[in-house]
Amino acid sequence: MSANTYDAIVIGSGISGGWAAKELTEKGLKTIMLERGRNIEHIKDYVNANKDPWEFPHRGGRTQKMIDDYPVLKRDYPLNETNLDYWASDKDSPYTEVKRFDWFRGYHVGGRSLMWGRQSYRWADVDFEANLKDGIAVDWPIRYKDVAPWYSYAEKFAGISGNKDGLAILPDGDFMPPMEMNCVEKDVAKRLKDHYKEARDMIIGRTANITVPHNNRTNCQYRNKCWLGCPFGAYFSTQSATLPAAMATGNLTVRPWSIVTKILYDKDTKKAKGVEVLDAETNQTYEYFAKIVFVNASTINSAWILMNSATDVWDGGLGSSSGELGHNLMDHHLGVGASGRYEGFEDKYYFGRRANGFYIPRFANLGGDKRDFIRGFGYQGGANREGWSRDIAELNIGGAFKDALTEPGSWSVGMGGFGETLPYHDNKVTIDKTKKDKWGLPVVAIDAELKDNEKKMRIAMENEGKAMLEAAGVKDVQTHSSNPFLGRGIHEMGTARMGRDPKTSVLNQWNQVWDAKNVFVTDGSFMVSSACQNPSLTYMAMTARAANYAVEALKKNEI
Amino acid sequence: MHRRTVIKNLALIIGGAALLPSCLQEKGKASIGLKNVDVSADQEKLIGDIAETIIPKTNTPGAKDLQLHLFVLKMVDDCYTKKDQQDFMTGMGQFNDLINKRYGRVFGDCDTKQREQTLLSIEQNKDPKITTYSTELKIFYGIVKNQTINGYTTSKYFMTKQVVYELVPGRYNAFYPVKMKQAV
Repeated sequence: MSANTYDAIVIGSGISGGWAAKELTEKGLKTIMLERGRNIEHIKDYVNANKDPWEFPHRGGRTQKMIDDYPVLKRDYPLNETNLDYWASDKDSPYTEVKRFDWFRGYHVGGRSLMWGRQSYRWADVDFEANLKDGIAVDWPIRYKDVAPWYSYAEKFAGISGNKDGLAILPDGDFMPPMEMNCVEKDVAKRLKDHYKEARDMIIGRTANITVPHNNRTNCQYRNKCWLGCPFGAYFSTQSATLPAAMATGNLTVRPWSIVTKILYDKDTKKAKGVEVLDAETNQTYEYFAKIVFVNASTINSAWILMNSATDVWDGGLGSSSGELGHNLMDHHLGVGASGRYEGFEDKYYFGRRANGFYIPRFANLGGDKRDFIRGFGYQGGANREGWSRDIAELNIGGAFKDALTEPGSWSVGMGGFGETLPYHDNKVTIDKTKKDKWGLPVVAIDAELKDNEKKMRIAMENEGKAMLEAAGVKDVQTHSSNPFLGRGIHEMGTARMGRDPKTSVLNQWNQVWDAKNVFVTDGSFMVSSACQNPSLTYMAMTARAANYAVEALKKNEI
Repeated sequence: MHRRTVIKNLALIIGGAALLPSCLQEKGKASIGLKNVDVSADQEKLIGDIAETIIPKTNTPGAKDLQLHLFVLKMVDDCYTKKDQQDFMTGMGQFNDLINKRYGRVFGDCDTKQREQTLLSIEQNKDPKITTYSTELKIFYGIVKNQTINGYTTSKYFMTKQVVYELVPGRYNAFYPVKMKQAV
């Protein structure tokens, strides 16, 4: 075996890439994981994780220089001084926005598994059946029963804490003990259940934070500083979970600074033989060879790699024969919600910072519920006591004001919606050859927008949020609805969808590229619809499922 | 360690490396290096006096003990837009002129009552529709107040002595009596 030849290549090291590397190496395949950015070593490189709030010169805020340096990241919460090193440079890696698309990227080992929101929900049958039922896009080639065992497999390894709530729309999983709702959240949950006669639920979030020790990882210490990297390894990330498992096999090589520019396609065998890599530090080009390639570069970059590959056979790139590669880009639309003041429980507080909140599963267009849009939305939220910014009547300055700053304010309850975005053929990414990144590579152009169905849904998200909080006794309920743009959900999906027919889909039911059976795409690209649940758990399960299939197929010499 | 020494040391820690007074301080210039706003020693003192009126020394340290005015200046210098910085400087000048006209002296030489009355009057007229005070003056005061409180409630002193902050709580207690103060 030559130095650059492996059994398997994994492109990308985020949530799905880490899973691919773990599964393939544990099944005995010599694997190289290629990561375009720098290495981040577990614990050692979490440079801000053990800082106290007062150690940040701007207390975690953003400076004008940061705002100038990050014209995209500044559009939402990710831009702050506590974990700036984890976000890709907008200037080094520009892209073209045909329409505004907020693309927040993590270019380093671990990818966005280091900064993700960790909410982990299974999909239900209604989600996999939705496209068929509504007659839009294409049908999922799989159903819940195909994924269910792999959900269990992923949950058991990743460590998902949650309560078995017994809801049809949100199937229970193999959970660790749930985190707890505080007194106000419990009260609101009960009032909602009573008011809507059990047709709506408010549950504790199901999160990839472990609540009991697991695989040499320490259980969550309630710091709520996950986005800095966890010194306890208490939340699932490539670094805390899949990477150590893959390394333990002795079969994994990790190569940081490796930008995969194309998959090398062999016309004769109709298979990929490897990949071309541009070293991001030296600008040298290398080739790596393997029997199978897993593409996990994240939804938009995976499409970019495929579009750059095998262009001598297909103008649009590898997987483009259906005309769907790069199309059907989805995200969850958000920025809509409600909040208000909760009276009572003044003598109650909470101790510890829970890295989790409550979740209200989808209810729209389910049961007897009918709307002027299809599909639905869920909410994430929490109740907490406000700090100094509360109104202290007549105490604006002076000693009494100073004393009052040490008292907790009133309880507030807030929540924001996550809405399903439909797969539209004309929401797409293409390659913009007129613009180059720091390495001279052509950039992607993103052309996607919310359409009628999402816009109608956002009105319902706002109104229902208000109605539910008011029904739960929350006072002075205010709503918000802003920035109706895609991308800011940081749940990009759909650019290489699965399907039952090579004429209308890029991948088959095993995440195999129809046009190159030894290439598997298992990041968000494969999604055929978006549902409204946070998608990462589904990527984990589907990656493990595809890796299992790939290794079986290799053994049988099918690929 | 004596309490006073503790507080003095704390102030240095809170100030942080970036706020250490410059050894090559120009006469009449602010005591910390600023890149984007030109603040004089007198203006630095004014901000310190306003901050001290908002968070006065009582039986616990006040704004000056904790060097909160230096935090205010650092935030103005690094985190605000050019326009905000200009308004801040203009508003500061107008604030000075107003005090001079009203009391015939600088803010720091006014008695506590005069200082408190001035700030409360600005608070009461903060509605943009009320023109008792100029927009710039209100922006200036708003920034000083916000950042004084931000600096105070996130200072090591506050988070360790006034409330209980733990870097590693280790547990979540969903029903906690309010007696025990906690920063989250």
